[in-house]
Amino acid sequence: MSRFFVLTLSGLTQGAIYAAMALALVMIWRATKVINFAQGAMAMFTTYLALFAIDHGAPYWVAFAVAITSGLLLGAIIERVLVRPVESAPPLNVVILTLGLLLFLEALAPMAFGGQIRSFPPAFSIVGLHLGNSQVAFSPFDAFTLGAVLAVMVLLMLLFQKTNLGLRMRASAFNPEVSGLLGIRVGRMLTLGWALASLVGALAGVLIAPSLLLYPTFMDDVLVFGFTGAVIGGLDSAVGAVVGGLLMGFALSYVGGYFGSDLETVGALVILIAVLMVRPRGLFSLQRLRQV
Amino acid sequence: MLEVNDLTVAYGPVVALHGVSLTVADGSMTAVLGANGAGKTTLVRTISGLTRPRGGSVRLDGRDITRLAPDEIARLGVAHVPQGQGVLAELTVDENLRLGGLWRRDPKGQRSALAEAYDLFPPLANRRHVAAFSLSGGERQMLSVGRALVARARVLLLDEPSLGLARLVLVQIMARIRALVTERGLTVLLIEQNAKSALSVADEGIVLHLGKVVARGRAQHLLSEERLRHAYLGF
Amino acid sequence: MVAVRSRVDRLVAPTLRRHLLIALGAAAVLLLLSAQIGAYDDYNLTAVAIFAVAAAGLTLLTGLNGQLSLGHGALMAIGAYTASLLLKDHRQLPVIVVLLISVLSAGVIGIAFGYAAARLRGPYLAGATLTLAVALPQVATRYKSIFGGESGLTVPPSAPPDWLGADFPPERWLAWIALAAAVVTMLLLANLLRSAPGRAFKAVRDNEAAAALAGIDVARTQVLAFVISAACAGLAGALFAYWSGITSPAGFSLGLSLQLITAIVIGGLGSLAGAVWGSIVLVFVPLLTSGMASTVHLPSAVADNLPLAIYGGILVIAMLVAPHGIQGALRRILAIGRARWEYPPRGGQKGVVDWDDPAPGT
Repeated sequence: MSRFFVLTLSGLTQGAIYAAMALALVMIWRATKVINFAQGAMAMFTTYLALFAIDHGAPYWVAFAVAITSGLLLGAIIERVLVRPVESAPPLNVVILTLGLLLFLEALAPMAFGGQIRSFPPAFSIVGLHLGNSQVAFSPFDAFTLGAVLAVMVLLMLLFQKTNLGLRMRASAFNPEVSGLLGIRVGRMLTLGWALASLVGALAGVLIAPSLLLYPTFMDDVLVFGFTGAVIGGLDSAVGAVVGGLLMGFALSYVGGYFGSDLETVGALVILIAVLMVRPRGLFSLQRLRQV
Repeated sequence: MLEVNDLTVAYGPVVALHGVSLTVADGSMTAVLGANGAGKTTLVRTISGLTRPRGGSVRLDGRDITRLAPDEIARLGVAHVPQGQGVLAELTVDENLRLGGLWRRDPKGQRSALAEAYDLFPPLANRRHVAAFSLSGGERQMLSVGRALVARARVLLLDEPSLGLARLVLVQIMARIRALVTERGLTVLLIEQNAKSALSVADEGIVLHLGKVVARGRAQHLLSEERLRHAYLGF
Repeated sequence: MVAVRSRVDRLVAPTLRRHLLIALGAAAVLLLLSAQIGAYDDYNLTAVAIFAVAAAGLTLLTGLNGQLSLGHGALMAIGAYTASLLLKDHRQLPVIVVLLISVLSAGVIGIAFGYAAARLRGPYLAGATLTLAVALPQVATRYKSIFGGESGLTVPPSAPPDWLGADFPPERWLAWIALAAAVVTMLLLANLLRSAPGRAFKAVRDNEAAAALAGIDVARTQVLAFVISAACAGLAGALFAYWSGITSPAGFSLGLSLQLITAIVIGGLGSLAGAVWGSIVLVFVPLLTSGMASTVHLPSAVADNLPLAIYGGILVIAMLVAPHGIQGALRRILAIGRARWEYPPRGGQKGVVDWDDPAPGT
């Protein structure tokens, strides 16, 4: 099997994770114009909660549900308690707040769950599938990862595009004041936006944990590459986030495979700068005129 | 019935409204007139809950709504059509219109209200699935007003609907609103700089000057007040 | 000609003189302070001075010019590696030469970054600089033969000059160097901010379109801010190399960049004094919290992480209760003491009454 094919497959799986993280960041950016630097740490924390459930005898799927649900709740709580009060503060303040939250969660996790590095069990085998006589670098768990991310994205798209709730959420994100005048409970919509976004982030965490090990900063790289993917795609576009995330997955995989893994981040930087120099607001930005 | 009682609003040290009182009876239209900066927009923003007053009260059918949030006031049937920026530019025309009536949770009534709005504003029907940012100024204004109609509001707060509208379209819109006032008992507070056209459709008129009510009365009466017209209304 | 000159004197001289006086005063106080305290505190004081230099540069860029950089640690790394490479081959090079060349190299590289940055806005610039902060240390890891790989380059200490005596503590000497660098940086930046380029920085931050209409070259102003900021980071980086004795990728992690941005916001965004406050917080709060954590007997998993948890908590709470940082809080306290009627609170909200233009309706 060609090296290129192997790298493409692993890039696809990695990319799905980055796409999920990018999507989480974009959803929060669109709802509240905040880059949530704590997104990775939140996903780390919910993954620890899932591991905690496994440690106490819960089957994988219960732990999976724990991660997803706690992600949903954590997002809602953080929006309500921490982000809402600084809504009208200068944007940098909110950046610092999420950075503070990142540090706090990364310190809290070892205090709550112990400091040692842990492994996280996968739902399915992580041994490559057999195609005829040869083994490919694509395991049942990789398939599950792709399927889960895809399913969540389709569900979110249906929610936002096809339901009245999704319509309310989009309206609240675009223009809170006018949405309020239309009888929409804007605050609830923004909370829900944060909750759903951190559900997606939690999903990324629980899906990537088996291939990385679990430790307090294990999601930091995923956050950085997810953010890079979101910026490449354009922060206002959900489609852009997915494309940007996948692009990051492929790019890191190729750069790592052909040039050595220590150049992965340099490759990411080169691609990011190249894209931004041509399209300063990302690939999928709409350069629209918003006049009175 | 919409009652505003002794409303005072200030932005920091700048007082925008000075003890303003007014009453709009059910099924009637009151025009609020005055120059730029008279406090007209502040008045509607305070009624719809976007601006917090320093003193005074707003009542809807006797119920105090002064401290309610904008979305709560909207769900009582008060539709505020803001000046200029009222449409959600990123959403389609259809989505904008649907949003108007979502809070009623009445899909059937909503469908007929939508059809009615498209009937009234054919240009919107043609551009149903187009994002609102590509509409012209006049079309946006139609969309804002249409959305308030879809909401089947009891009280309509119109902030300068004439802005950017062609004369003919404005006349159509106002005729439609006038009909709703008479037929369905709609209550309308109409903010206008263009005093002459506003007074020709309204029942009552109020003139604001530097945040104070300087004149009020029957629309016909105000139209004929020479002195008033010269001093405040400029025609 | 004479009239113009005297006018310039009147406008510029008092500010310059005032800044010089403050700088001299600060230098004298710090000199005395460093002589009073032990080696350990000198070491921490040096850290404050280093962070203050970098934070002041970042204040200029982010606070006053509105360009959000999450990757200033990478620019410090450029300064640090420049200094380390210089010292690798020329151990005897005087400190001042090493510092100046580091400033120059970071400044020159800053030109390239500045041009790229000038095209980007807000979160996009944040994303680009964040990636820079992650990627640049990898270059050092990759090219081992030049940059020493993971283990980095060792930096020979700068020995105190002979006239200070044989037993002059090297920590105090380094503290003097760093404090001198910080005072000079602050003096230069404070004067720059009072001059035309300084006003251009703020004009561009507040409203690019208006600045352009007023005849300011927006892109050039942004590049200039980036270059000056990079030069400060380069100076801080070179000092950092002396301070830590080793220059390695681990020293310039993303964490360092994020600490810097934290410092300027906690200190009070947009003021040089805020940069100093922030640097003090950055150095002393972790020391304090780890000191506190070690006095209580706790399981190691808790004791090891408690300082970080407290630090993170402080950041969150600070943003909730003191959104304008330490300098903002101080200003507010001072303002209460002053006559309030002199400065009525500012209105300036949307929809404010337009008193000047009671134009007739048309």
